[in-house]
Amino acid sequence: MAEKSPVKEAAPSESVPVSNSVQLKPSPQFSAKFTTPTPPNSDIPSTPTNRPPPVDADVIHVPSYSRWFSWDKIDSCESRFLPEFFDGRSPSKGPSLYMYYRNSIIKLFRENPSRKITFTDARRNLVGDVGSIRRVFDFLDHWGLINYSASSALSKPSKDTASNNKSSDSPSLESPSTAAPTPKQSSTSRRFCGACKSLCTIACFVCDKYDSTLCARCYVRGNFRVGLSNADFRRVEISDEANAEWSEKETLLLLEATMHYGDDWKKVAQHVGGRTEKDCVAHFVKLPFGEEYLGHPLLDDAESGFETNKRACLTPLSDASNPIMAQAAFLSALAGVEIAEAAAQAAVNILSKVDDTTASRGGNGSLERNSRQEISSNGDTNQNASERAYEDANSQLNKEEEDIGRAITEITEVQMKEIQDKILRFEEMDLLVEKERQQLESMKNLLFIDQLNLSFRRNSNYA
Amino acid sequence: MKSPASASWKAPLKFRMPTAENLIPIRLDIEVDGQRYKDAFTWNPYDPDSELVMFAKRTVKDLKLAPGFLPQIVQSIQSQLATFQSYEGQDMYVGDKIVPIKLDLRVNHTVIRDQFLWDLNNFDSDPEEFARTLCKDLGIEDPEVGPAIALAIREQLYEIAIQNVTSARENRINKKGRRAAEHFPISKASGAALDLMKLFSFRSSVVRKRKEWDNYKPILDLLSNEDVDALEAKEERSGR
Repeated sequence: MAEKSPVKEAAPSESVPVSNSVQLKPSPQFSAKFTTPTPPNSDIPSTPTNRPPPVDADVIHVPSYSRWFSWDKIDSCESRFLPEFFDGRSPSKGPSLYMYYRNSIIKLFRENPSRKITFTDARRNLVGDVGSIRRVFDFLDHWGLINYSASSALSKPSKDTASNNKSSDSPSLESPSTAAPTPKQSSTSRRFCGACKSLCTIACFVCDKYDSTLCARCYVRGNFRVGLSNADFRRVEISDEANAEWSEKETLLLLEATMHYGDDWKKVAQHVGGRTEKDCVAHFVKLPFGEEYLGHPLLDDAESGFETNKRACLTPLSDASNPIMAQAAFLSALAGVEIAEAAAQAAVNILSKVDDTTASRGGNGSLERNSRQEISSNGDTNQNASERAYEDANSQLNKEEEDIGRAITEITEVQMKEIQDKILRFEEMDLLVEKERQQLESMKNLLFIDQLNLSFRRNSNYA
Repeated sequence: MKSPASASWKAPLKFRMPTAENLIPIRLDIEVDGQRYKDAFTWNPYDPDSELVMFAKRTVKDLKLAPGFLPQIVQSIQSQLATFQSYEGQDMYVGDKIVPIKLDLRVNHTVIRDQFLWDLNNFDSDPEEFARTLCKDLGIEDPEVGPAIALAIREQLYEIAIQNVTSARENRINKKGRRAAEHFPISKASGAALDLMKLFSFRSSVVRKRKEWDNYKPILDLLSNEDVDALEAKEERSGR
């Protein structure tokens, strides 16, 4: 392990790493200062370089997209990129092993951060099989956790382009770059191969598990990471997609040309320039003229899709075993995401009413990447249906409850009325009885008076 | 008494390294244009071939070797892989075997000598883990010792596994009576292994005898620079 002198670098700019345009590195262009927990490194490089003056010897620069790193924790992106340690396939290859590799490599680098460590240094010092060590090393390298000083940031692009030029199959950066934080790759129709970074032209192979794309060459060569096999990839045709991108200018030219030349597609193609006859015809047919939206409102999208497809089957289709599915796939790619979603939803509605398998297949069973969104929207409609049923049940329940409540109140009112009537009657009786009592009292008084009179008369008689 | 041999006969398994991870040890010793490259590491035979080529490229680049090394490295690793794979489909006989593993290595300035028993039936064993723990326990500072220890263990296990395959093959050829063959493997192949039944019988105890203690202790030496140079010179001479 010979000691290399620290690399001299030319740009003395402040510690802003150059945006590495070669890979699909994410947008944050600045680095974050990250103090290491290890004791300060006393050997500041002796050669006076133009590097920005290191304020502390123990400050290590880490790009901001690697801010998640911490010594004791494993971040989700780590488990995504290096699944071999986390899927439990082998009992000894676990997260603790991964942390041992990662921490040792980083510690090794930080012992002398001005020097880039090589993979051979790392693997010589680590106990384990070199394949896994290499993958961890590459992961850390790509995320800037090792070998990332201001000098190496400059030399990195050159190193990568050099290695890319030297050998077309250098999948060292394949795994991180394909699923790097910029999700641009998946949504644009221009596909870049994750391994050799070339534009995919005719066909590309997509792996859904790890979200990576490889060009045909890399796929054939087996340039994918270890956990995958040939079966995990599915083929995706590019040729029709790439050609389907008609710019507005081209469309305008096309329309002009058809107005002038009518059915003479040769002249039309010449006018448009850069497009073959077949392409012109195909695209012309696909232009929205309004007739496509007539007909059955629900089945409209799916049906019209099929019809135009019959006319437009000039362009080569993907090689899916089921031709109908392949056509649907082609269509959904052309039609775009929202239309495909709407078509899928419409199809699902029909499916729930009528058991029409072809319609459902056309809407649901496409193979393209857009179909994934369709499928998720299908799942959504299903979910909505069940939610609606649930809500209906709920509202009915509530109604019942209200009815019951109302009935109860009515009953109580009636009973209260009864009681009130009874009370009234009792009051009346009370009055009557009171009157009788008074009468009786008066009679009693009269009797008493009579008795008195009688006794007076008797007394007076005797006297 | 029932014969103890039949109790320990096990159905033959497919060949594999008797460790948790089926990794194989690779040793390289290539000389091109006067440059000598010696290396040894553990390799996962199920990695795709692209891995191999890339590894070779990086090694050549990192160590600044001549480009003529590249095909040689690839070829050497591939031939060792092929040997491993040729054994792969075959049956391996494993009985109750506990084998002694010996370490006698010199890595840079550290010399380590050790001997311990290893259970071949334990397919969850992990030489890497063992090496890491050993280095940590002995406080070995040189980080290159760990991989060397793991590699040495693996090499010995590999050897033993190969022997098992060949012995199983021989037994199949020699099989005359069905019963008789079962007894042979026990007595023949366990020359180096310990007979568990004897150990655990009532006559002896499981505790190791005192005089054997020294054999099973790790001995660690740190050499000075002159010793290292002297030893290296001696090795070169004996090697040539």
